[in-house]
Amino acid sequence: MITRRELLKSAGVGAVALSVSSQPVLAAAERVVKIEALMPPPKGNRVVVCGGGWAGLTVAKYLKKENPNIEVILIEQRPVFFSCPISNPWLADLVSLDFLQHDYLQPASKYGYTFMNDRVIAIERDKRRVYTTKGYIQYDYLVLAPGIRYNYSAWFGDNRELARLTKVNFPPAYIPGSEHLALKRKIHEFEEGDFIIVVPPGTYRCPPAPYERACMIAEVFKRNKVDGRVIVLDPKEDIAPKGPGFRAAFEEVYLGIIEYVPRASIKEIDPVNKVIKTTAGDFKFTDANISPPHQAGELVWMADLIAKDKEGKPTGWADQDPLTFQAKADPRVFLVGDVISPALGTAYPKSGHQANAQGKIVAKIIASRIAGKEAPLALPDNTCYSMVNGSPQEAIVINVTYEYNKQENRIVPRARSINERSEALAKATYEWARAIYRDMFS
Amino acid sequence: MDRRDFIKTCGTVAIASMIDVSFFSQALAQQKDGMFQAYKKALLVKQDGSPLREEDIKPHVNYIFFYPYASTPCYLLNLGEEVPPLEIKLKDGKSYQWTGGVGSKKSIVAYSAICAHQWSYPTPQYSFINYYPPDTPSETTKKAGIIQCCAHLALYDPKAGGSVIDGPADFPLASIVLQEEDGNFYAVGVLGKDQFKQFFDTYRTELRQQYGSTAKARELVDKCIVMEVDKYVQAVVRC
Repeated sequence: MITRRELLKSAGVGAVALSVSSQPVLAAAERVVKIEALMPPPKGNRVVVCGGGWAGLTVAKYLKKENPNIEVILIEQRPVFFSCPISNPWLADLVSLDFLQHDYLQPASKYGYTFMNDRVIAIERDKRRVYTTKGYIQYDYLVLAPGIRYNYSAWFGDNRELARLTKVNFPPAYIPGSEHLALKRKIHEFEEGDFIIVVPPGTYRCPPAPYERACMIAEVFKRNKVDGRVIVLDPKEDIAPKGPGFRAAFEEVYLGIIEYVPRASIKEIDPVNKVIKTTAGDFKFTDANISPPHQAGELVWMADLIAKDKEGKPTGWADQDPLTFQAKADPRVFLVGDVISPALGTAYPKSGHQANAQGKIVAKIIASRIAGKEAPLALPDNTCYSMVNGSPQEAIVINVTYEYNKQENRIVPRARSINERSEALAKATYEWARAIYRDMFS
Repeated sequence: MDRRDFIKTCGTVAIASMIDVSFFSQALAQQKDGMFQAYKKALLVKQDGSPLREEDIKPHVNYIFFYPYASTPCYLLNLGEEVPPLEIKLKDGKSYQWTGGVGSKKSIVAYSAICAHQWSYPTPQYSFINYYPPDTPSETTKKAGIIQCCAHLALYDPKAGGSVIDGPADFPLASIVLQEEDGNFYAVGVLGKDQFKQFFDTYRTELRQQYGSTAKARELVDKCIVMEVDKYVQAVVRC
C-alpha cells in the first residue's frame, strides 16, 4: 500500500513539510502531485509501458501491430529520444546529432499508442496503478523498461558529495543526454595529459562501449594533435567482447595514444585532486569518463522487483522469468531491456539490439495473453558493431544467437564475430542503427 | 469466381491485356491465405534492351532488377542446379506453395531484395543484403549459397523459397514469380509476405529524392532491366 504522504514523499514533494504535517504545504504539494485517475478504468487490454528506450518503444509499437485494439500507453520522462548506440562515433563527429535524435510523436501517431511525456513517481502493483506527476493510470499489464541507473554508493557509500562531484565533473555518459554532450565538449577541448576511461565493474550496459569510446576519443586526440593519452582502466582480465579487434585497433591505429590497463578494480576515487587508486596502481588524470557500477533503472526498485542473492541482498537487476520476461513476483508485469538478470546459464548483453529483439517477443507474449493464447517460445538475438577507427572509418562486429535447451533447461549462446576491422563493417554499423531506428520510429 | 472477383483477388491494377490469365488461375488455385499477388507481367531485359535469355544468367552471379514497382529491387539468381518447388510455412500459421526454379535446369529464381527483417535494400550507394555464392562464404556466419543481410545478420535460403535460415527475420524473402515463354523471362507476381506498403511508407523521403516523386517510385513496370548488382551499387557490403 502507498499512502498519500508516502506518495508525496516518494515524489520528492513537500518532504520537509511532511515531517511537520503542515496542511497548507501539503495542499500546495497536491497541486503538483495529483492523486487522481488520468484515464477511465481499463477494460482488460490496457498495457502501460514505462520507459521509452529501445525496449519500451519496440513493445509499444509491436503491441499495436499485434492487435490495434490493445490500449497502449508509453510513459517516458525525456521529451526527445537520444540514442546511446552510435553515440561514440558521434563523439568523434562521424555522425551528426540528427542521426541520434528522434521524436516520440511520429510512432505514437502512426501506430496509435498514447505517448505521455511524464515521470513515473510510484507503482502500486496490488492496485495495478502507475503514478506520474500528473496522476495515476491503472493497467492490466505493466512493462518496465527503464534502462539503467548508476550505483555511486558502491564506491562512495553515503558520501553524496563525492558522488555528485564525480558525476558532474567526469560524467559516465551511459544514460543519454547532458552527460554525452558534456563528454563530447570535454574531449574536443582536451589539450594535453591523461584522459582516463573507467570501465564499469560487473554487469553493465553495452559491454564493448568503453573500448569503442577509447578509439573514438583517441581519434579526436589524433585529429587535434593532442599531446595526450587515453588510459582505459578495466576491472576485467582482458578486453571483452571483441577483444582481438579492439586490441588490434589500440596497437595499430592508436599506438601510443591508447593505454589499456586490465585488472584495474577501483579502490578509491578522488574527484577533487583527480586521482584514481586501483588494484593495478594509482593514476593521476587531467580529465576522465568515470562510470560507476550499473543497476536496473529506478522503476524496477520502485516496483520491488529486484532479484535477491542467496543472502537475501539485492543483486541490482530485475527478477524476471528468463523465457517470458515476466516478473517472477507478478505475472502482470514484464521486465525488458537492460534491467534483466542473467538467467539459465546465459547473460543477454545489455544492448540496443537485444532490447529491440526482446521488445518484439514481449509484445507478442502480452498480445497472446490478452487474446487468451500462449505465444510460442522465442529468444532474442544480438548483433553489435563497434567503430574502431575514424579515418578511414572501420568497424568490427559480433553476432550472438541463442537456443533454449529444454532438456538441460539452459539458454545456449552461439557467438560469431569479425575482428578484422573494415570499411564495409563501418557502413554496416550505420545501417544496423538506421534499420532499428526505422523499426522503432517509422 | 467471376472476372471482377478474380481481378480483385489478384489485387492488380495492371492493364488487363498484360495479365496472363491462364497462369494466374493456375497459381491462384495453388495458393492459400492470399499469399500470391499478381502485378503487371514484365519482360526481363538486358541493359541494351534486348530480352534476357537463359545463357545471359550466369550461375551464382547476383543480378538486380526492379519489380513490381520502379523502385522495388529484386535479385535474380541462377543457382546452377534444379530448385524444386516446396511449401513455405510462416510463423503466423499461413503457408504458400513456392513455385521453385525456372529455365531449362529449373535453377533460376528471383526474390525481393528488401530484407524481411527491417527493410534494408540495395541502393545506388550500397547494398547490405547480398547473395553469397557457394565459393564465397560469409566471413561472419561462414555460410555460403545464402542471401544475407549485414544490418542484423538475417540469413535466407534461395534454394528454399527464401526461407529464414538464421537471424532475426520473422518471414522469408518475398519470392518473385518468374515465367518462361519462348526463351524469354517474365516476372508476373509476388509470392509471400508483401512488404511493399511498409517499404514505401518507410522510405518515402529517400524514394522521393531518388525518383523525383512518390508516384514515379510506385510506377508499376512492364519491363525490367537486369544487371549485375555491382553495376548498380557503388559499395556491395559483405560481412
